[in-house]
Amino acid sequence: MHRHHNGTFLDDRLARRAVFGRIARTTLGVTLLDGLSGPLAEAAAATNKGGVNLVILTMRGAMSHLDTFDPKPGREEQGETKPIQTKTPGVVFGEHLPRLAALSDRLAVIRSMTTETGDHQQGQYVMRTAYPVLGSIRHPSLGSWALHVQGKASRELPGYVLVGNGNEHPGAGFLDPAVTPVPVADPTLGLENTVRPQYLSEKNFNRRLALADKLDADFKRAFAGPQLEAYNQMYKDAVRLLGSVDLEAFDIAKESEKTRDRYGSSTFGQGCLLARRLVEAGVRCVEVEYGKWDMHREIFEELPETAGTLDQGMATLLADLEDRGLLSSTLVVLATEFGRTPRINENAGRDHHPAVFSCALAGAGVQGGMVYGASDERGFRPAADAVSVPDFLSTVAAACGLPHDKEFMAPNGRPFKIGGGGKPIRAVLA
Amino acid sequence: MSASRLWLERTVGVVCVAVVSAAALGAGGKSATKGPRRAVAQMRLPEAVTQDPPAKPIDVQPVDRGTRPAVAAAARAVDALVDKGLETHGVEPTRPLEDDAFARRVYLELAGRIPTHDELVAFLRSDAADKRAELIDRLLESPDYVSHFYNFWADILRLQERPDKHLVFEPYLDYVKDSIRTNKPYDTWVREMLTADGRLWENPAVGFQLRDEGMPLPYVDNTVRVFLGTQIGCAQCHDHPFDHWTQREFYELAALTAGTQTRPGGPGPGRKERRVMASGSEAARAARDLQLANRDRNQKNKAAVAQYLRANVTNVAFADKKLLLPHDYQYDDAKPLTAVSPKVLWGEVPEAVRRADGRQQFAAWVVARDNRQFARTIANRLWKKLMGVGLVEPGDDFKEDNPASDPMLLEHLTDEMLRLDFDLREFVRIVVSTDVYQRRAVLHDTMSAAPFRFPGPALKRMTAEQLWDSILTLVARNPWSIQRPTTAEVAGIMNVDLRTASLADVDRGLERFLGHYGKGPAKRRMMQVCGYRGLELVRASELPTPLPLGHFLRQFGQSDRETIEGGRTVATIPQILAMFNGPITHAMLEQGSVIYDEVTSHAPREAIDVVYLAVLSRRPGADDRALAIQEIMSADDKATGCGNLIWALLNTREFIFIQ
Repeated sequence: MHRHHNGTFLDDRLARRAVFGRIARTTLGVTLLDGLSGPLAEAAAATNKGGVNLVILTMRGAMSHLDTFDPKPGREEQGETKPIQTKTPGVVFGEHLPRLAALSDRLAVIRSMTTETGDHQQGQYVMRTAYPVLGSIRHPSLGSWALHVQGKASRELPGYVLVGNGNEHPGAGFLDPAVTPVPVADPTLGLENTVRPQYLSEKNFNRRLALADKLDADFKRAFAGPQLEAYNQMYKDAVRLLGSVDLEAFDIAKESEKTRDRYGSSTFGQGCLLARRLVEAGVRCVEVEYGKWDMHREIFEELPETAGTLDQGMATLLADLEDRGLLSSTLVVLATEFGRTPRINENAGRDHHPAVFSCALAGAGVQGGMVYGASDERGFRPAADAVSVPDFLSTVAAACGLPHDKEFMAPNGRPFKIGGGGKPIRAVLA
Repeated sequence: MSASRLWLERTVGVVCVAVVSAAALGAGGKSATKGPRRAVAQMRLPEAVTQDPPAKPIDVQPVDRGTRPAVAAAARAVDALVDKGLETHGVEPTRPLEDDAFARRVYLELAGRIPTHDELVAFLRSDAADKRAELIDRLLESPDYVSHFYNFWADILRLQERPDKHLVFEPYLDYVKDSIRTNKPYDTWVREMLTADGRLWENPAVGFQLRDEGMPLPYVDNTVRVFLGTQIGCAQCHDHPFDHWTQREFYELAALTAGTQTRPGGPGPGRKERRVMASGSEAARAARDLQLANRDRNQKNKAAVAQYLRANVTNVAFADKKLLLPHDYQYDDAKPLTAVSPKVLWGEVPEAVRRADGRQQFAAWVVARDNRQFARTIANRLWKKLMGVGLVEPGDDFKEDNPASDPMLLEHLTDEMLRLDFDLREFVRIVVSTDVYQRRAVLHDTMSAAPFRFPGPALKRMTAEQLWDSILTLVARNPWSIQRPTTAEVAGIMNVDLRTASLADVDRGLERFLGHYGKGPAKRRMMQVCGYRGLELVRASELPTPLPLGHFLRQFGQSDRETIEGGRTVATIPQILAMFNGPITHAMLEQGSVIYDEVTSHAPREAIDVVYLAVLSRRPGADDRALAIQEIMSADDKATGCGNLIWALLNTREFIFIQ
């Protein structure tokens, strides 16, 4: 604990308590836990209407940079994807992104991203946390940090929703379980099982909960610790959520058919629509996964649909956020774990390529109409202004107003920074 | 509105005779008037699951009772080492488990589910001195054991039914299950998978190589990670500063298996229609002709025909092939695009296979007895499965700066694995027979820097599959109404002799195939047999894989079967909502469910005990009993009170954590 000098913790009293709570739990054992559950619950329920919202679009499987945001016209490596002119003079995208090309004045594209690993799981973990996978600790994802620092914007709704598969996600890491993303498997179904069976009255439901609590008291006492506390917390959150009038934010059927069509019928497109609804309703952070990018074979057959789906979903999201005046308070991040090889392999696909790849930002805190960094002529390595994943995530943190240069203490007593101690790209920040 | 109501009223009617007074028999209450008859018709459990299960749903290799003294001695040796570690580090062991908690744990760990009320009571009543050993042996030879360990391996091996559209993996999934059923020695099993040739329904072990079809480098990475607990993946692209392995070493190893082919004549120049046109076997040429003819027909299932043809020519074979360093190889010891000579990562290729082809050499090296890392990896993996924490964590990242928490113990377990000639079930039998396994669970914070010393097993949440199969235990007398198709069944449906087949034959074959294994028909058939409100009430091992993200099992963390050991046990809100309002937790309140019958077949005064034994595998304590009685007495109507008790117990941490 000797590292607790000035500035190592946030000023935010509640966030501070949450961190202390976690540390107390692991260092002082279980006795403090009961005493802490009060303030922790309070922290989880605290709200903060201001602050920047975060929408992260995660392209799982590694998005090919040459075929999307960093084409190399005229090169053999380019393969079948043709370049198209964007709204920004002199900047071309791949042909499957016409809508985003028309919105390039809103985008900050980074073409000199570089990372260390060519393994999907590890790459995704780094892209979500800014830290490499370690056996001894789980790092918080950026969305969890945002929630931890800024608090929730709605009392009943979750602060962080993940449209996709929760299994691979580092989630809250060593932060309080209250900042864990709530996974929504299918955006068209929204949050399932929110309606009580008809025969079960609210009164009876509450009786059941109270009874479960009492019957479980001995076990909870005997095994008090982070694992059980996470479940205790989820039970509280679930009950709070069920009582929310804002639950219909999860129901995209409330949108007109026309609106739904504009996003595209894909799960990703509908996920983008759900993201917009949730941000409007006060969910601080929404992440939408899209996982069809691992194109080792027949890449030029796969690209039209996959890239087209991204184009339609993301472009519609940006346009809608702007129409509603939300783009100035919402940062949209397009991220992927690494790039794909410039060389086209014998199966007409591209393999993993961590040396250079592209990501993009739009909205709150960043400049539009800009390209930062460049890959070399083949799209093989960064040619200028290489951006590491920690640099990128520190930029995101800075754009959201998160304290990326402050040290936080993890339960193992080691210091961590939001964004992994990277350097924010000043040129990209508005 | 439901059968559950009807049942609850009846049950509680009886419960209340004993617990309260005759006054409670006004059992009707508000709900009684609401047409239970109609509701029964709507929400009945499917007949197939309420019947008695088949006598032998799976025919399992029996456990040899004769080796029991040897198992006990081996367990004592493990205990001595654990106890020494505890003493050295001044850690107190936890207290031994009572019979009830022991039974719950071994049922969950070996059979993948909680015991039924009757199973538990029979065990508790027995006064045989060896009743724990007997329970362990019976569970290890039960169909449940095969099902549970199938789930365990499905998570590791990324078992899916269609990893790609043309890969019909049912035979491989059946092969994995069968290898567990026959307790095939692990080294034999792995060697089979690494060297198999042929088509999936001829030699289903080829599935392991086909899981990474067309990706020779990730294949080597995954294989080494799974069987040798070593991560070399980073070296695929470059020398990693903090890693032991160089890119060159990676390529040298990959050169051994680079000649693995899965398509006749190798891949084509990149277009689907040209894919099977590459020169090759007669069958491949025939497939090409059929495919070209099919293209002209412009029929609506053209793509399905193409996949069906491709499935029929997908064939694993091996012919040594040179592997070139990548064109961007950046180190001084070799030039890009030069061929690497094959070499293993450590040790040597066993003498007997040095003249065999590269793939044989690779497999023989991986499973060799003197490649201790092979035995060590599986010993650590099984130890972790049973004790909750591995001696090396994570178990696929053995390296110098990640030492074992107790090296002596790990080496002892490795020796045991070798002594047992890779008999995995016997190894499991030894571990669950130890005193340390039969102690009370302890908390282990995975983020704590201090190594876990095993004062008892670590507390853990049930896996998604354990939870599903446990809830099913409360619902379905017969959880085996549907089982995975066998290799022979698939062969009968898939196989077409392309050399003589006409397009019409292909169409007929495809129709047969889609009728059996097409997503829609397969689902409909399952729902007809064992469907209940959109869920198939069969063991997790027999369900489709991967399940859709919104399925109960996925909500509770079942893997998407894309990543190695992708299963998780982390808390999320949708899990709680599923427990609150989802169909599966309500299925057990239906007439004809297991717990329904258990409660109604006992004397009323025993009802609360029966519920506790069935759900939590223990009798209620005095406080529990008082609370339960109070709940039933004070509820709006007594029926509701009893339903509330069952629901409440399902929603305790005690239910989903294994203590």
